[in-house]
Amino acid sequence: MTDRIETHLGTTEEGQMAQEQANTSTTASDVAATSAEDSDAVRTSGGDPDDLNPVIIELENVNVYYDDFHAVSDVSLPIREREITAFIGPSGCGKSTVLRCLNRMNDLIESARVEGGVNYHGVDLYGPNIDPVEVRRRIGMVFQKPNPFPKSIYDNVAFGPKIAGYKGNMDDLVEQSLDRAALWDEVKDKLDESAYALSGGQQQRLCIARAIATSPDVVLMDEPASALDPIATLRIEELMYELKAEYTIIIVTHNMQQAGRVSDRTAFFSVDIQDDGERTGRLVEFSETATLFTTPEKQETEDYITGRFG
Amino acid sequence: MTHHEIEPRHHFDDELDEIRASLVDLGTMVLANIRWAGEVVVENRLDEVDAVVEADAPINEKYQELEEKVFHILALQQPVASDLRFLVVASRILYEMERSGDLAVNIVNSLERIHGIPADTTLQSSLDRLSAASATMFARGIEAIATMDPEIGLHAEAEDEETDNLTSDLFTAVTARQDELGLEASVALFYMGRFFERIADHGVNIAQNITFAVTAQFPEDY
Amino acid sequence: MSTSSTLNPRRATSEEVAKTIKRGGANWKPIAFQALLLILLSVSLLILIVLLADILVSAWPTFRDRGLSFITDGLSLNPETAGVWTAIVGSVIIAVVVAVLAFPVGIGAAIYLEEYAPNNSITRFVDTTVRNLAGVPSIVYGLLGLALFVPLVNIIGFGGATSGKNVVAAGITMAALVLPIVIITSAEAIRAVPNAIREAGYGVGATKWEVVKNHVMPVALPGVLTGTVLTLARAFGETAPLLVIGVATGFFAPAGDASFYDTLTGPYTALPVVVFSWTRQTQAEFAETLAPAAIVVLLVVLFILNGLAIWMRNRSDRKW
Repeated sequence: MTDRIETHLGTTEEGQMAQEQANTSTTASDVAATSAEDSDAVRTSGGDPDDLNPVIIELENVNVYYDDFHAVSDVSLPIREREITAFIGPSGCGKSTVLRCLNRMNDLIESARVEGGVNYHGVDLYGPNIDPVEVRRRIGMVFQKPNPFPKSIYDNVAFGPKIAGYKGNMDDLVEQSLDRAALWDEVKDKLDESAYALSGGQQQRLCIARAIATSPDVVLMDEPASALDPIATLRIEELMYELKAEYTIIIVTHNMQQAGRVSDRTAFFSVDIQDDGERTGRLVEFSETATLFTTPEKQETEDYITGRFG
Repeated sequence: MTHHEIEPRHHFDDELDEIRASLVDLGTMVLANIRWAGEVVVENRLDEVDAVVEADAPINEKYQELEEKVFHILALQQPVASDLRFLVVASRILYEMERSGDLAVNIVNSLERIHGIPADTTLQSSLDRLSAASATMFARGIEAIATMDPEIGLHAEAEDEETDNLTSDLFTAVTARQDELGLEASVALFYMGRFFERIADHGVNIAQNITFAVTAQFPEDY
Repeated sequence: MSTSSTLNPRRATSEEVAKTIKRGGANWKPIAFQALLLILLSVSLLILIVLLADILVSAWPTFRDRGLSFITDGLSLNPETAGVWTAIVGSVIIAVVVAVLAFPVGIGAAIYLEEYAPNNSITRFVDTTVRNLAGVPSIVYGLLGLALFVPLVNIIGFGGATSGKNVVAAGITMAALVLPIVIITSAEAIRAVPNAIREAGYGVGATKWEVVKNHVMPVALPGVLTGTVLTLARAFGETAPLLVIGVATGFFAPAGDASFYDTLTGPYTALPVVVFSWTRQTQAEFAETLAPAAIVVLLVVLFILNGLAIWMRNRSDRKW
């Protein structure tokens, strides 16, 4: 336990140092003025930009290509610490693609190429000598369909820390992770049983426990509740809200009400269809969720969120 | 033959249009009662007081029906952005209209309490102008709903100054005659003036709410 | 609302509904088709049963008269004393060599092809080639064995009295023969592992090797095992390549006290070869009762192997 707390502290300190770098670089780009930043500053009640949580991931002109296909065009937005940021938009708008840039999950697709900067604590994730494996330990991921390993509940949670060479008490870590994922009480008596014996909602919470077991500071969620029933969905949402105290969460969702319920900020992506049928996603609007859902700045956003899209 | 195409939320759009049209209808009913109450007061038609009071019942019924409809749409369609603003505003406008209808009733009830306006041309013409101005302001509100024109709300407060001035004129006239009118009649006349002024204010609020529904911002003098 | 709509003009009466959804009589087409399929199945089963029955009947006298000694006796020119032990030993050694060589190489190649190889034209070429190799006639592998593996066996010191035309070379040749099949079946099993499991592994910061070792292979193992063990049966049944690399089709007598090295490097035979050669013997008993008995032994060994495959698969396939 003590070990773990120390590692945590260690990470935070490093994080803050990197953060200071990030802040200086942010000021530079502030001058270049991403529109999202500007509108934040104007709109946030109190009006003091210093009240905002620090930026943990800054996307700068991110473009994603699959071979020659331009999937995502010029996305710039700041992700703030200990907030929930939602990505919404129609199918093919590149929201999942952008999400998968954030922990280099796109590496798994051979033809994928990312241009632009993804600065995590001020470090470019696509810079030289970045180990994607280490990146994924610090930026965890939860997928659309619950995908526990075909192993026991315990092994599902313990796998990540084990391969990362975790030296502390594994039982404690498993309990702690399951507890944070609000699953401990339901599974404490059957840790050796198959993860597949759990319900869909429980499996997804197990996947969240698995994701946070490696002590990430960011958790990416790719439509985490789309395969779940409404009650299980609300549980996951409630859990996200609790996790926000310690983690930065980025969620891709098709469910706009969900984005409205859980997120602090929302990025709306849309898709341009070129003459040759190529579909390129782009960021349309990024602002506080309450603003986006009541008084969106762009007509395109309004049309989408009110259901008059296309 | 034209082919059938599915526009997203066509059905919902129809519902919203229906709400808007119903608001105009209800407003028109209330406006008719306001004008009637004005005539009853200026012409001392005490025999019509009960009829004016009764005419408020269908207004209340329609108000409740519409309030419920808006409430259901909010619950079932989970509107956002301009849809949400319109529906929230619709609910507020319904309240403003219902209150205006009640004020018309209050006016004729005050008239009945003092058994008619004393035969005084200054007072009568003052009330005549005030009731007309008040009805005009309320009509501006309805016009805003019918046209969804945000400009009306932006100028409504300034336009309403006339009503405020006419109310002050009435108060001055009543104050000058309070000895001959007696306490009860003076107070009743004060109230009538206040009621007409409130109706005009409701008209202003309605127009300003429409401005918010359209532009997402209230006029600065809201 | 539209009066001109032909889609749903009015509510149907229950009689009308009943008329449309109730069937007039039995619909014979699907029934006929089902019957046809059943007949086809019966025909193939019948052929198999007749074949088996014929062999069992022919083989019966041998087992009745000789009992276990038919299994434990070695080769002989005398039908009274000829047995299949030498052939069983040869076949089993070949199978072991196949298992030792073809399985690790084939499974490894499959893992590389599925998990590591970049998706480019070279990989696709290799993939196609492997598939084509699986269809190459076995005699060609025999020629390959003769040209390549027999000299190779001599070089590595297993030439022995047969100058390399022995069970080691035969095993290597058989391994080459089944290798494409091992690769294909293993690759299929690995491909069948849901991508979600790989993503989950990468998602918690596993390296490619950790994902393959901890998540992909355990899930793919039952399929890989089934496929590979079934290829053993193929290796067991093949005759042609062995004929090319100098399997003994006649009589030879391994020394009773032969060392394991001598067994590996000496003359050899295998079960299907014995069946083949016995049917060509001049004495009628060989063809009439001994060959069918050897076939029965071959079949039993194959059943045992398949049973083993199923058992291993069930063991490795813990249902999570």
